[in-house]
Amino acid sequence: MNETGAKKPAVDWAEVRKRVEVTRLKIEQGWAPGLEERKKILRQRAAALAKEPERIIEEEKIEVIEFFLTHERYGIESSYVREVYPLKDLTPVPCTPPFVLGIINVRGRILSVTDLKKFFNLPEKGLGDLNKVLILSSDDMEFGILADSIAGVRTVPVAGLQKSLPTLTGVGEEYLKGVAGDGLIVLDAGRILSDKAIIVNEEV
Amino acid sequence: MPGKDEAFLKRLLATFRVEAAEHIAAISSGLIEIEKSSSPEQHAEVIERLFREAHSMKGAARTVNLVAIESLCQSLESVLSALKRKEIAPARELLDLLHRSVNVIEGLLSNVGKEDAPSGMEMIRDFVRELDEAVKTSPRQEAKESGERVAEQQPEARTPAVSPVTAETMRVSKQRLDSILLRTEELLTAKQAAGQRASELREIREVISSIRKGWTKNLLDMRAIERASKKRTAVSSATDLRLNKLLSFLESGSNDISVLYDAVIRSGKAAESDNRSIAAMVDGLLDEVKTASLLPFSYLLEIMPKIIRDLSRDRGKEAELTIKGGEIEIDRRVLDEIRGPLIHLVRNSIDHGIEKPEERAAKKKPLAGAVKIDVTLKEGKSVEVLVSDDGAGIDTALIRNAAVKAGLLSKKEADTMDDRKLLPLIFRSGLTTSPIITDISGRGLGLAIVQERVEKLGGDISCETAEGKGTMFRILLPLTLATFRGVHVRVDDRHCIIPLTGLDRTVRVRRDQINTVENRETISVEGRAVPLVSLGTVLELPRKKKAGPGPVYMQAAVLGSGEQRIAFRVDDIVSEQEVLVKDLGSQLVRVRNVSGATVLGTGRVVPVLNVSDLLKSAVRLSPGAEARITAEEAPAERKSVLVVEDSITARTLLKNILAAAGYDVQTAVDGVDAFTALKTGKFDIVISDIEMPRMNGLDLTAKIRSDAQLAEVPVVLVTALESREDRERGVEVGANAYIVKSSFDQSNLLEVIKRLI
Repeated sequence: MNETGAKKPAVDWAEVRKRVEVTRLKIEQGWAPGLEERKKILRQRAAALAKEPERIIEEEKIEVIEFFLTHERYGIESSYVREVYPLKDLTPVPCTPPFVLGIINVRGRILSVTDLKKFFNLPEKGLGDLNKVLILSSDDMEFGILADSIAGVRTVPVAGLQKSLPTLTGVGEEYLKGVAGDGLIVLDAGRILSDKAIIVNEEV
Repeated sequence: MPGKDEAFLKRLLATFRVEAAEHIAAISSGLIEIEKSSSPEQHAEVIERLFREAHSMKGAARTVNLVAIESLCQSLESVLSALKRKEIAPARELLDLLHRSVNVIEGLLSNVGKEDAPSGMEMIRDFVRELDEAVKTSPRQEAKESGERVAEQQPEARTPAVSPVTAETMRVSKQRLDSILLRTEELLTAKQAAGQRASELREIREVISSIRKGWTKNLLDMRAIERASKKRTAVSSATDLRLNKLLSFLESGSNDISVLYDAVIRSGKAAESDNRSIAAMVDGLLDEVKTASLLPFSYLLEIMPKIIRDLSRDRGKEAELTIKGGEIEIDRRVLDEIRGPLIHLVRNSIDHGIEKPEERAAKKKPLAGAVKIDVTLKEGKSVEVLVSDDGAGIDTALIRNAAVKAGLLSKKEADTMDDRKLLPLIFRSGLTTSPIITDISGRGLGLAIVQERVEKLGGDISCETAEGKGTMFRILLPLTLATFRGVHVRVDDRHCIIPLTGLDRTVRVRRDQINTVENRETISVEGRAVPLVSLGTVLELPRKKKAGPGPVYMQAAVLGSGEQRIAFRVDDIVSEQEVLVKDLGSQLVRVRNVSGATVLGTGRVVPVLNVSDLLKSAVRLSPGAEARITAEEAPAERKSVLVVEDSITARTLLKNILAAAGYDVQTAVDGVDAFTALKTGKFDIVISDIEMPRMNGLDLTAKIRSDAQLAEVPVVLVTALESREDRERGVEVGANAYIVKSSFDQSNLLEVIKRLI
């Protein structure tokens, strides 16, 4: 009400007085809507209450941990990442394939560390700091993967993931969830964890 | 809430599985008892027991809603009840049917808890019908009904699957005991760490002690100087004052050092005593926990009668099993590990040993073959298990042929070798005497695996055989799984543990006492020639050129035993110690030559080697492989590279790239470290990171350039910094090349190095 007054150069006192007067009269009369009026209001309320709340269609999203590996950005579903561990002392294990970098001691347990780039047969390009290990785990498999640094956690809409861009990423399509709009390569942790090829099981 | 219910049901099913397995085992052995004995009184007693077992299992199955098992138990119960009232006789066919029914229940049991497992009603339908038929064939038709009635009258209180707790004993699940044991074993690491700390303090004490000696000596000299200066009046008062100050500084320093020395001695003593008491506590606790998980052998052996029975029936043979010493207690982990091997040996007895009844009749042997398992307690905390049969024995002529066929022996060797030496060959993989491959034997892997398992436990297996009379396997097992001991060795910069169980000895040999026979090196151990290989080569480690001719003596670990010993050359034998072997994680299921890893007192993770793999790998090395490698690398003078990088992975990566390209690589973790290395060694080029603790790459380069000896050494900076200013600074301090990490590429780096040296 003040706003309407404020728009004019000065306060329109006549208008204010008129509205105050109308209000005063209504209060004195004891405002009571008629029967029809009441029914109408009740119907409106009933209708409002009966209306189903609009379903918000949640688009399916996954939470990914974003990390750098030799200056390239990768994402991996956070539900498979048990923890991020600083890479301190890596012990190489003899007679293992090149993608097994070695083993580390995580609070008394021995865990193997995999270099995904080697596993994916990607060219060795760039040299990272490689000082973090993302520990991936599922029910029956657990190992660490190497990362230069962790960029953070974010959610990625599944629908927005573009499938099959192997030429772009070099990572086999089977290991990819897809590539997000901004070029984030989202790896399929479940697939990698269950891949037989990542298991070392060799007899002499 | 459904989650909670599900979890409860899961737990309930797990309990049921344990309980049902016990019932099944009891029923199986009961049925065999009936088969064996012919006294009706004994029959009645056993049948009564079986009836109760079946009934209890039925009730338990009902509580967890396993309808198939429940109805099969119901039918079993009816038959047993009819037997109990002597309405039907325990004929062989009937007992067979009961055995098969129990097998079906076992099968159903293995599906319990699995999702999408079939309800099993299909599987049991025929059995239920057959069992019900069996009861009906008895003289009185109403037997089944009355049987059921009796069954229902049994008190239901027996059924709940809850383990009873009595005053003296209580049930603890295997998993819990295992986890207690595991955690207790973890304490070994703490024990080792305590030892490590104590020895570090000893070293510190030595250092301080020598500082103190030096200080005291200098102080005495100083006092002498002071006395001398007082005599000479010519000394100015200023010099005198300075001398006094210096003297009092040295004196107070001497006091401080004494205080420090005393403190270190006190700490050291405390650490030593802590170390001792921790060691005693840990060892005592471990002993107790191990004792708590001892189990009688019978726990394992009770499945044997059934295996023998089923298998001999299947093979159309007859066999009697006798077991002695089932009450002897042994570490459960040993039992668990030995289960497979023992079953294998027993099956072998039936399959290869015991002849068919006709043959036995012809040889005038009793129709039923005798298979014996004798368990005896030996001195020195070990248990001997003898598995013997009175079968055909092992045909040594067949072994000779098979060994030649498998390429283990030459024809000539095979013909001349005596039986005693020949027999151990049956444990070699790939050797089979069975003309056909059956589902249980003939693949030639069995005994090799048996031996591997036994040896893994720290045990020993041997075999004796007499043609026509039988075969006996003798297994010696440790009573408890001893704490693993190993020898810590070093090859280049790699550390490994060699298990003491596979180690014959360690030796120190003069280099000129290495003989070369047909391109293979050998050394003499107690007058016998033992082949010598390099552990590094066997482990496929990248080779390094040794500076100079190497020390006069070299060290080696002699592995294996008897005729199959091989010496593995190592650079250093560090120590012998207790080792807690851990597995390598779920990704590394089995790695060639490596059986696990351990954490040393220093916190270093070290691979534990697999001796039987090493021996096999060493034999596989083509003869002269080592000699050839040495010959190849000899002519080319290898250039040496110093890699300076603080990130361990980047360091390892660079090192591998350069080593693969034929360079001799050494590493340093920062500028300070690098400079020390440069001053003590000779390098053709330095590859350095820029951002590093203590001294960065730019400072290192500047320092190299200002050093008279090093000024000419090329420096390549490899860095994440890529601004122009940084590059300029690199040039300013005198770097020869500047490679930005993001554009790093192997060939790029190698090309740059080639150009510079």
